[in-house]
Amino acid sequence: MSHEPHHPSRLRRAALPVPLSPCASRQAPASRKVKAKMPKFYNDDPAWEDIEPLPQDDGGLHPLAAIAYTDEYSEAMGYLRAVMAKNEFSERVLGLTEHIISMNPAHYTVWLYRAKTLSELHASLEDEITWLNRTALKHLKNYQIWHHRQTVIDALGSPKGEPDFIATMLEQDSKNYHVWSYRQWLVKRFGLFGDDEELQWTEEMICADVRNNSAWNHRWFLVVGGKDGQSVGEHMVKREIDYAKHAIRRAPQNQSPWNYLKGIVRQAKLPLSTLKDFALEFADIRRPDDIYSSHALDLLADIFGEEEDSKEEAKKALDLLATRFDPIRAHYWRYRKGLLEQTGSAGVVA
Amino acid sequence: MAIPRPQSSQSPSSRLEGILADTDRIEELSDSDGDYEDMGTATEEEQANIAYLESVRIPIQDQLQTDSSKVQNETLQAVLPFLEGNPNDFPLNIFGIPQLQRMKHIAFLKQTLGDYPSAFAMMDASRPWLVYWSLQGMSVLGHDISEYRERVAHTFSLAQHPTGGHGGGYGQLPHLAATYAAVLSIVMVGGAEAYESINRKTMWHYLGQMKQADGGFTMADGGEEDIRGAFCALVIMSLLHIPLELPPDAPARKSGLTSFTDGLGEWISKCQSFDGGMSAAPGNEAHGAYAFCGLGCLSIIGPPKETLNKYLDMMTLIHWLSARQCSPEGGYNGRTNKLVDGCYSHWVGGCWSILEAAIDGQDIWNRSALSRYILSAAQAKKGGLIDKPGKRADAYHTCYNLAGLSAAQHKYVYEADVQTELGGGELDAPYYWKAEGLFEDERVWGSDDVVGEVHPIFVVPFKAVHECRSYFDSKEGF
Ligand SMILES: [Zn+2]
Repeated sequence: MSHEPHHPSRLRRAALPVPLSPCASRQAPASRKVKAKMPKFYNDDPAWEDIEPLPQDDGGLHPLAAIAYTDEYSEAMGYLRAVMAKNEFSERVLGLTEHIISMNPAHYTVWLYRAKTLSELHASLEDEITWLNRTALKHLKNYQIWHHRQTVIDALGSPKGEPDFIATMLEQDSKNYHVWSYRQWLVKRFGLFGDDEELQWTEEMICADVRNNSAWNHRWFLVVGGKDGQSVGEHMVKREIDYAKHAIRRAPQNQSPWNYLKGIVRQAKLPLSTLKDFALEFADIRRPDDIYSSHALDLLADIFGEEEDSKEEAKKALDLLATRFDPIRAHYWRYRKGLLEQTGSAGVVA
Repeated sequence: MAIPRPQSSQSPSSRLEGILADTDRIEELSDSDGDYEDMGTATEEEQANIAYLESVRIPIQDQLQTDSSKVQNETLQAVLPFLEGNPNDFPLNIFGIPQLQRMKHIAFLKQTLGDYPSAFAMMDASRPWLVYWSLQGMSVLGHDISEYRERVAHTFSLAQHPTGGHGGGYGQLPHLAATYAAVLSIVMVGGAEAYESINRKTMWHYLGQMKQADGGFTMADGGEEDIRGAFCALVIMSLLHIPLELPPDAPARKSGLTSFTDGLGEWISKCQSFDGGMSAAPGNEAHGAYAFCGLGCLSIIGPPKETLNKYLDMMTLIHWLSARQCSPEGGYNGRTNKLVDGCYSHWVGGCWSILEAAIDGQDIWNRSALSRYILSAAQAKKGGLIDKPGKRADAYHTCYNLAGLSAAQHKYVYEADVQTELGGGELDAPYYWKAEGLFEDERVWGSDDVVGEVHPIFVVPFKAVHECRSYFDSKEGF
């Protein structure tokens, strides 16, 4: 395998959606496809004639960021407010909430009230999952649907079918934060830490894209997260170190496996020098023209920093990073260098 | 001496798109031919930019192509023309960088605060956010927002729930994100009438319902527990001076908890992941936005120097935060091997002053590279700021790009020794921050490009923070 630097490919592809921030959805689409479905109204529906809808109260002044709702949405919300006010949990509430969710899937109030209704009615949770499966792809980036799914699967008490479903979702968006977080919940809830299939699947995800950091995080979660603070066995530590090294050899400038490798070594309380020979394969500071990974240099700076008489080498590695191999972080590398000078020993295990 | 304009991998038509006015676009494109790239040579500014970009590039690139590297390469090709040249045709500052389009951004934010057509029903639960992002964006641009005072108070009294806290709008269930945005908006416009629109007693009870036995907070009753909840709850409590003691009806009392901060630092600590970053909840992947929530929450519990060092592994945290700065883009990404995005200018850029306060360090990040990204690549031609070139402007990216620019331009310091008139009360740590002038080294912004000071924890103006806390400090009881 060659480690030679090369120029990036010029392939073009539509940009992926932006990473999700913890702050609710931010942007409505500029235009939504006009639904072929007829709008649904309740005022002429005999099944709802006992309900007096509660219209939205906007008081006197014109509120900020007001939305000109469609009549359909306004009316449905009026009926929802009315049933919520009388704490009604019924089949027809399930229909109503489904209708509103189809118009606004980011409406946490509707999801939460639906979850409560399901629970009060002892409604079929299998049916709920079937319905969720149909709409899931449309709402991949939506906090509420994944939390709702979690609530339902928790009550159902079985993860059956879920791993496959998640895998399908990740085919669309392999780093979706909600989907991975849900998977971690699933592993924890149903004790799948030691599950061979789970580890196997994670390995396939990493194999497909060795830079998928979400998959690396999940591997960590399976290997270390399930231990609840207890140490990881020697055999497993060796296996993980080998695994990460193998991944690094595929693409040495990929930070995910380097972070994983350092994490495992720290977790096992091994000295960082365990990794010295390996790091030197990618970055020999005596031959700056043959450096194939800035992350190897970074690690070497720590390893040299921990050694008795290698402080100069540590500084050299940090200088190479600051001036040549990772100059955008020059201030950070100099900060690390400053720490070396201050403490006399490293203490910097990054 | 002129060097040739670098070959852009963007098609001539997509480069033109940014330059031409909307009305001309269709006709011009139809007869544009392929020789656009040969048009002239790079200007002096472009040459300087190209040389700069070369100087911050990581000279190593792996051969192996995967989905991540492909989309990264495409992103870089879309961003580079904006860092090298000036496709938006903005006036340049003395450093050859596009000037801050202040008036255009203010005009854009006035729109995002106004009425929305029915297609925006998906934002119905996020209206408090739209108000907060727009008002904060305007404030940092120096626009007086006092004209909105009455309407802010009115908008959020409608969204306040009878059992405490705020929802997205009238009749919606209370939610910590909506409450956070509502409270910050009220704090920003200020005044007794706006402050008094908040029912602090029911707020106390509502927050008590959100506190969990494991120390964290849920976002809503029956909602998800994550680090946003912890941050939002503490922001609200500190600004409104809500008692630290859990209300008698708080479910967490059954597990022996008595204070809102019981187990909280420990819970946040569990959100630090193996690579040093912070995640939404224990075990999840490290993510820039959750990092800000985590550091912000710890900085409300106590002085950052105390709390961060107590609950977090600082060296891996700094390493991870530092690695978020994309090279050569200069902006931040949110996770390892993800793409640069303007909103992380704040989520990650905003972490640095907190971090520097915790380690007595200074200047350990690249402010000028971030400022370049914001000014050159994250300003939309028609106003508002964006994730990255090719994306649409929105209030969210406008607010957080500008907050990031403020973090790059101003020095924010924590002065533990100085007794402010606000010191001494519960959750008073955030009131020891002050802005200590502008950063001068390696700056790439002109004096007209300087945005206002932003409180590093609350992300609203300092003055608003101090007035609000003083108001509630001087109140007895609820
Ligand atoms: Zn963003």
